[in-house]
Amino acid sequence: MSLLASLARGAEIPVFAAIGAGGLAPVETLRRRPGLRLVDTPRHARVLLVAGEVDAAHATALERLHAQLARPRATVWWRAPRLFDRGEIADGDDPTGAIRRAAETDEPDQRPDLPPHPWEGIGPHGQGGMGMMGGTPYGRPMAMTAEDIRDGLALDAYRARFGPFLPMLPPGLALDLTLQGDVIVAAGVAAPPYPQGAESDAPGPCAARMLRLMGIGPRAARARGALAALPRGSGMRRRLAAWVDGARVDETPRPLPDALPGRDWTGAALWLASFAPSRLRAACLKPEAA
Amino acid sequence: MTEIAMPLVLVLLAVAFAWGLQRLGPEAGATWPHRAPFLGGGVPQTHAWQRWHARYYPMTLLFIAFEMEMMFMYPWAVVYIETGTKALAEMGMFLGILSVGILYGWREGVFRWQ
Amino acid sequence: MIAATLYLLLALPPLVWAAAVFDRIGTGRGALLAGPLRNGAALLLRPVAPTEAPDRLNRLLAPGWYLALALVGLSVVPLAPGLVASDLSTGLVLWGACEALTVVVVFLHGWSPNAPFPLLGAYRYVAIALPAMLLSMFVLIGAALPAQSLSVGAVVEAQREVWNLVRQPLGLPLFMALGLALTLRGPFDYAGGAELAGGTSAEESGPALAAWRLARAAMLVAFSAMAATAFLGGYLGPVLPGPLWLLLKTLAVMAATVAAGRFFARMPPARMLTLLWVVLLPLSFANLALVGIEVLP
Repeated sequence: MSLLASLARGAEIPVFAAIGAGGLAPVETLRRRPGLRLVDTPRHARVLLVAGEVDAAHATALERLHAQLARPRATVWWRAPRLFDRGEIADGDDPTGAIRRAAETDEPDQRPDLPPHPWEGIGPHGQGGMGMMGGTPYGRPMAMTAEDIRDGLALDAYRARFGPFLPMLPPGLALDLTLQGDVIVAAGVAAPPYPQGAESDAPGPCAARMLRLMGIGPRAARARGALAALPRGSGMRRRLAAWVDGARVDETPRPLPDALPGRDWTGAALWLASFAPSRLRAACLKPEAA
Repeated sequence: MTEIAMPLVLVLLAVAFAWGLQRLGPEAGATWPHRAPFLGGGVPQTHAWQRWHARYYPMTLLFIAFEMEMMFMYPWAVVYIETGTKALAEMGMFLGILSVGILYGWREGVFRWQ
Repeated sequence: MIAATLYLLLALPPLVWAAAVFDRIGTGRGALLAGPLRNGAALLLRPVAPTEAPDRLNRLLAPGWYLALALVGLSVVPLAPGLVASDLSTGLVLWGACEALTVVVVFLHGWSPNAPFPLLGAYRYVAIALPAMLLSMFVLIGAALPAQSLSVGAVVEAQREVWNLVRQPLGLPLFMALGLALTLRGPFDYAGGAELAGGTSAEESGPALAAWRLARAAMLVAFSAMAATAFLGGYLGPVLPGPLWLLLKTLAVMAATVAAGRFFARMPPARMLTLLWVVLLPLSFANLALVGIEVLP
């Protein structure tokens, strides 16, 4: 054990970044910082980094995320006001010191220790259920059948709030999705993406974000070949090609509730990443303005 | 007999090792918020286990045809040189017929996400 | 047999470490050699995160099964003439079984946490991995034809004059596609990937994650050893002793697989499915037909 502990002392600190307003570009600078490693899920992380201002409406979501880090865990607020009274504060360009300090500490859950629904002791076996699928076994109801938009097979629909801090979606975007398998059959925007600085709309970072979803690094020589991975004639391919060539893309996407249904999860994530963050935000805000 | 014993020993070894490795870490405080599935701060309405809409089900039928074909292929490979051109012609016909199946499936769109 | 097994078990940890080092090259984070060990140790000291109502047994066993498949697959590879851990006359069939069961194990790994992203990854992986397994078996049958045997040792001996890589040049690239699918990487990483926040391992933490990554690296070693044996002449080579040749060729295939995983972009799954069935599978038929015509007297 002591051997493991002494080996682990030099390890990189896995950090999950919850990105708020203006946090996208600063977090990109952390990707190659030695001593840190940005991870895609809080389960892999030691430290929750809140980068950029998160509005109070998302405080509960942030607390849920915080609770999903395994203990010991810690929070760092980078250029962000605290939404709960824990963790380190970092203001400058480099949060590494604050992250290192935080990685020595531990924080308890911010959320009360309650199941999503009461279930214990309910039902014939105390599992929370009634009959085959009824009730809330182990705290949640089971998925139930619903109509499908593609092949008409009525199988189970999975309904959930995705985001606002999912790494494959634009930061701040929260979607209420209904999925059949991995195909989106209904979508609603619960919260628009956060405003990001103008540098996030630049071709380089945009291409890099999209290519990361496709599993490769941003070097241009390869990126040309990556175009072949996207369906021919698709808007995604055209926009990625423009970014790889260094051109800006100013297209505004169709409203998400119209555009997302019918896409599979991978296609939807790539489609969302194929628009500049400011354009996507505009498309999510428009219905409210109208 | 002893030849097949070694893979079994290796399976036991590997499973025991991975089991032991997962017992190394400290106990996690299993609170309800900690156990909730990761959705980036969002919450699901239901359990994730469901009658899943596997979008590739027509493809799996085509797959079964080829998987059965594999069974004939193993003994075929051993006697191939002995049997000579006849074996080549036979397997060629077999694969040819199955390839027509691929083309038909392609036309019918079985490789699309249904 | 026992000696060969001991050699394998001794060689596996350094090779797994080498796989982790290859994965780190080019990430620009330094500490190439010690980094993987330190990060692994740090993972082992973290707790395993429980999920809501998981399938506990399968969740615990999935990394073990994956590692077991890698080990069993590796055990059919001859280290030198007559030095094989599992000396089966049907070694290629056993390897094929390990490939096919990998699909089941990866599915179990994604199924067991009862969480959305692992489940998405699990189902998506099955769609892509099934045809990829077919592909590899056609290619391996091609390697078995000149040997007139399903024994891996005979496949090596049949390459005394010329390697299968020269005789059937399509074989190794097609087999590499399977290697990427087996080891969940790059263009075939449909079980994980950034668009699913890690997919089947999105809910794993601590030692469970470490065990899964270790098994994945072990599978890369097993695949590379098999590819080196079936297409690069295995232990055959001048001057140096046989096992050393096998080691060098295995490392070369490992490096090539890691590089291929970084080079090619991952397609949306439906597009990959079409590519596999309509392009790669017919290519493997063509490979088999060419080998068939070539080996006939």
